[in-house]
Amino acid sequence: MSFTEWIFLLGGLAVAGPVIAHLLAKPRFRRLPFTMLRFLRTGQVESRSRRKLRDLLILLLRCAIIVLIAMLFARPLLHIRLKPSESRSVHCLGLDNSMSMAYSDGSDSYFDKLVDSAVDYIRSARDDAMFNICALASGDWMQGLGKEQALAEVRALKVEPGGTNVSDFLSGLSRAGRAEHSSDNVSVLVLSDFTPNTLRQFVNVAEPAAVHKIDYEPIVSSKPVNNAAIAGAQVIGLADGKLTINVAVVNYGLLRQNRRLTAKTGANRSAPVDINLSANQRNVFQVQLDVGAAGRQSSVLPVELSLSDGDGLSGDDTFYLAVSIPGHEDINVLLAGEGGNRMFLLKTATDTLSRTSSYDALRIKQVSMSELAVSDLDWADVVVCSAITDRLGDLALDIESFVRAGGRFVCFVTEAVAPEAARQLWQRDILAALPGKYISKRMYIQPKPCDSRAPGVDHIAARSLSNYRIDKVLLKGCFECEPHPEARLLWQLQNGFGLVYLKSLGSGTSILVNTSVDDSLGSLTKSNASVAFCRYLLGESHQLDEYCFTRDERIVLPMSGRDQAFAGQEQVWVETCNGAHRRAVVAESSLLVPDPAGIGWIKTLSKPTIYAGINLPQGETDMTKPVAAELAGVMSRVFATGAESDVTEAGVVRDKKNRPLWKIFAWILILLLLAEPAVANRLKR
Amino acid sequence: MRQNRKYLDPAFLSKLGNMDLVARCAVEGFFAGLHPSPFHGFSVEYSDHREYHAGDELKFVDWKVFGRSDKLYIKQFQQETNTTAYILLDSSKSMSFAGDGTVSKMDYGSYLAAALSYLMLSQSDSTALILFAERVMKHIPPRSRRTHLNIILTALQYNRPAGQTNLAGVLHTIAETTKRRGIVILISDLLDDEADIFQGLAHLKFLKHDVIVFHTMDHQELNLDYEGLIQFEDLETKARMRAFPQSLREGYRKRVSEFLDNIEKTAGNSGIDYCLLDTSEPLDRALIAYLAKRKRMM
Repeated sequence: MSFTEWIFLLGGLAVAGPVIAHLLAKPRFRRLPFTMLRFLRTGQVESRSRRKLRDLLILLLRCAIIVLIAMLFARPLLHIRLKPSESRSVHCLGLDNSMSMAYSDGSDSYFDKLVDSAVDYIRSARDDAMFNICALASGDWMQGLGKEQALAEVRALKVEPGGTNVSDFLSGLSRAGRAEHSSDNVSVLVLSDFTPNTLRQFVNVAEPAAVHKIDYEPIVSSKPVNNAAIAGAQVIGLADGKLTINVAVVNYGLLRQNRRLTAKTGANRSAPVDINLSANQRNVFQVQLDVGAAGRQSSVLPVELSLSDGDGLSGDDTFYLAVSIPGHEDINVLLAGEGGNRMFLLKTATDTLSRTSSYDALRIKQVSMSELAVSDLDWADVVVCSAITDRLGDLALDIESFVRAGGRFVCFVTEAVAPEAARQLWQRDILAALPGKYISKRMYIQPKPCDSRAPGVDHIAARSLSNYRIDKVLLKGCFECEPHPEARLLWQLQNGFGLVYLKSLGSGTSILVNTSVDDSLGSLTKSNASVAFCRYLLGESHQLDEYCFTRDERIVLPMSGRDQAFAGQEQVWVETCNGAHRRAVVAESSLLVPDPAGIGWIKTLSKPTIYAGINLPQGETDMTKPVAAELAGVMSRVFATGAESDVTEAGVVRDKKNRPLWKIFAWILILLLLAEPAVANRLKR
Repeated sequence: MRQNRKYLDPAFLSKLGNMDLVARCAVEGFFAGLHPSPFHGFSVEYSDHREYHAGDELKFVDWKVFGRSDKLYIKQFQQETNTTAYILLDSSKSMSFAGDGTVSKMDYGSYLAAALSYLMLSQSDSTALILFAERVMKHIPPRSRRTHLNIILTALQYNRPAGQTNLAGVLHTIAETTKRRGIVILISDLLDDEADIFQGLAHLKFLKHDVIVFHTMDHQELNLDYEGLIQFEDLETKARMRAFPQSLREGYRKRVSEFLDNIEKTAGNSGIDYCLLDTSEPLDRALIAYLAKRKRMM
């Protein structure tokens, strides 16, 4: 037995305390004159002996408790020397069943060769050997197998549509090393094609695994590799019913690739492109896919990109890309301000917004408040007013009709609110809040909107606003607003006053921003957040989006306003890549899918149908053969064997086993602590 | 009744201080508490009339009745049977034990001796008081005068326990020195060799004495109700012993019970009246025992 922190053993000297106390202590008793001592005599010897026994026992118990505590802190280790006959052969097999192993050079596939090699290895092992098998693609371990069981498990392995996961294999190996049978002869066999992706994972291993013996075999073909793959795709735009996609195709092999790239959506819409790639060449090809009417309505379009047959691995010839199409819509924005200067900054921001891809067509018209006419309202989809003036009161009925018909009425309030106009708009349920007393006090905006899930608000814009230092924007003042009972407070000032109120009226929306144009809107629009704030006010954006993930990514589907059908639900049923139905969690504005179960499509089972494409990790099927010397170097670094392994650091001892004793000591200590008062009290009787 | 019993309570009597008062309280409290008494006294006094029969002594004819009724009636008298009572009070150190600290065995014995003396002398019995420990320390010879009570009570008042018990020796001494037979009342804790004690008592019985043993024991001596670690110190021998009484209690009670049973059994076999008195109890048990004995002597 040894102690890791032997210095704590000095704490055992504390036993001197109870010993000295025992020696010095005099029993406390009271004197009592008595007459019939002869009748006590028989019991006297018994009593005194019991008392002595009790004192001694208690002293021993207390000393033992102190010594045990000291030993516990010293972290005792018990060395168990093992006989050679006690050690067993444990074989840990890391078998690569990732997608790249499906490659075939015309004869057997890589995976078939891997299975043959593994079977040969298992058969050559001793009959009493134990096998632990790890499938590198899934990271699943099958442990404690006998020879026959191991053979059966190896034969049952299948290629999985995914990349290798070396970390699970190595962490499982480390656990096995630290386990009770760590003294066993642990041999490791790694069978893989050691693609650059896999090799990179081995290179990145921080701590070597201590094993007795390491074997590895790169499963490669002697022939030149013939493989091309679609490495990625990006949606460029949607114009005139045609979806433009840039597709990255890589030739991972040494043979020239003359293939046909086809983009397909639905049963009868496809766009083929002939491609030509030399050895190890990567190129981007543009595909235009006619989506017809689907491009004019809001939907998620599944687009399958595929390469024609002609290489040794078909699993990477298909790419799944879901395109979120917002539908085509022109938006007319009417900016109504007292003067051109007042709306200049807002116009600039809106102009900027119109040039981004957020909106299909954002047409801006600027009028002064006094010239605001009914015809303007007829033209506009969004009306932004820099102030509440008497002219708005005159047009109250028309504005109500405009909003009820689906228009968006955004109204800033200034220091000089026309109270009559405000009252008229309020009475017609147009205003989300009624401005009251103006408070001329400098104040800051809350960093984040308080209600970004309200219908009529672009939640992406709301989230992006939180990325700006909006709380640094200092406003000159604000109004004490009385919110409409049906209105929602979207944003607050830091002093608790409302900044943005929203109210639905008919099929339209009315927004009131509790700032003045000059002092506050100016501040807002001068800030970095100006474009984001305009986007926030103007409503949902219309942007093409891609729902495309790799196999090892966390699948999080953003939900736009179109997907508000899922709002209020906690879970949504989805169909995963293998056709199974699973529940996806709705979290805020996202849909979380736990496991895609392969590559292919994920889709929601309830309307609206949302697709997401799941693909192989990039470079997974890069079939570049490993360099033998480099591979040997990596393996020797990852697996420390024999003399190279530092047994202390690795925590594995070959001929003897260190068993920590602290648990035993702790249990004994607890028992003693329980026994001490029991002994002390019991023997007093 | 309850009010009268208060005067028999040793704790109450201990507060009186004056032994004369103690004796008076105890005895009168005792009689006041009784129902119409069966104890008519033992002096010469008229008892009844009966018709004259031939052979009756003429001196007992009640001539006054004859003068009134011309019939001869004989006056019957209760014959006075004056006796001598020897009260032996153990005054050894062990008698000073007071378990709860109020009334020691010595106090209790003294109250009892005083009450008995009062009772006896009021009946014109000669009463002697012998105080002893290892030997007889004070011997007040028997007298029947009422003034004799003062002498006895004074002796009791100033008696202090001292010395070890030598009960057997003392009993032999008394047996040898008492000329007239009577009632020997032994008040003691009997903490001596049992065989020796009963040899001494047998000696007295042999001399035709009537013997009553009042065995005074403290409540703690009987029960050992102490708790915690205690160093017991013997009052007579000064021997010491440290023990947890709770661990000894059971055995102790058993041995004490055997001791008392043995004494009672031996006393019964020897024709000795035995009365175990707990010093926490009133005196009436002792007085009843005495009067019962006295009646049997009539």
